[in-house]
Amino acid sequence: MSATTTGLVRTAGGGELAAGARAMIPWLAGVVPFGLVIGVSAARADIPALAGWLTGPAIYAGSAQVATIEMLHAGAAPAVIVATALIINLRLVLYSGAIANQWRGTPRWWRATAAYLLVDPSFVVGMDGYERHSDRAAGHRHYLGGAVLLWVAWMIAIGVGVTLGAQLPAMLRLELIIPLYLVGEVVSKLGDRATRRAAVTAAVTAVVALAVPLHLGVLIAIISGLGAALTVKGGSR
Amino acid sequence: MTAWVVILLAGLGSYLFRISMIVVTERVSLPAKLEQASGFVAPAAFAALAATGIAVASKQSGDFVQAAPLLAAVAAAILAVRLTGRSYVAVLAGMPTLWLLTLVVGA
Repeated sequence: MSATTTGLVRTAGGGELAAGARAMIPWLAGVVPFGLVIGVSAARADIPALAGWLTGPAIYAGSAQVATIEMLHAGAAPAVIVATALIINLRLVLYSGAIANQWRGTPRWWRATAAYLLVDPSFVVGMDGYERHSDRAAGHRHYLGGAVLLWVAWMIAIGVGVTLGAQLPAMLRLELIIPLYLVGEVVSKLGDRATRRAAVTAAVTAVVALAVPLHLGVLIAIISGLGAALTVKGGSR
Repeated sequence: MTAWVVILLAGLGSYLFRISMIVVTERVSLPAKLEQASGFVAPAAFAALAATGIAVASKQSGDFVQAAPLLAAVAAAILAVRLTGRSYVAVLAGMPTLWLLTLVVGA
């Protein structure tokens, strides 16, 4: 067993694992409610409850999961749903590229597992860990500590949401929690001109494109929003 | 059946994205435009999904009176977030507004 592998599996490094998990806790405050509302919306959607929950372990990225669930519910064409989810998840390629250097030389099984756990919060917590530890193995444990806690919390939050959502009465109109939640996310992050333009263009296009067949509207709207943001001079965020 | 396949395909594609740059042995620099655009994917996607969800639900309501509680709920959500600067208050302000006004309209 190589030194790196030993470093990854030995329990003596529990300190960094715990530090990574602690660094993830502030993220959970935002992530857990999102997981709950995704679970509730999955339970209200016209798909099997277990399939809704499966978006968690399979796709493991909230916004792409929402798009998949909502579009399955709306009856969009399968290829369009997959394309929309993948456009939303394209950022994972960037995360992959940014963290790849840190993972060079690690065992293949470790890279395969660590990559599976890669998503916005684990990327940020992980990169922070690598910056703070000159010892690469300590950085790996920091990443894993945060990433595993995030994964477990996400699966539980969605599971609780699915269970709750299936039991609450239809008159509560819980299917509207997701749109309202997303309104909150968008409105609270309209800090700069390019982001505002991305959001407004995407929203207007989505409404106009409701009549577009195959439910291509969401995909068209996201791309229009990106285009609009990139036309802002200097592209400042 | 379709739902399962769609979810697994989206999951598989996402995993390939995650592992993509890690299996590439040479360091590859990604196009700068992609990097720049990726920062706007979340706001654009969230806005598109929210607008679609609200538009579809208000269309299903039938007439304007039936759709009014939903539109008021969205307005309340936006106002609450603007006032507090916190995203989660959108649901806390929006859902009770929706319930209350649905009762009023229904009565």
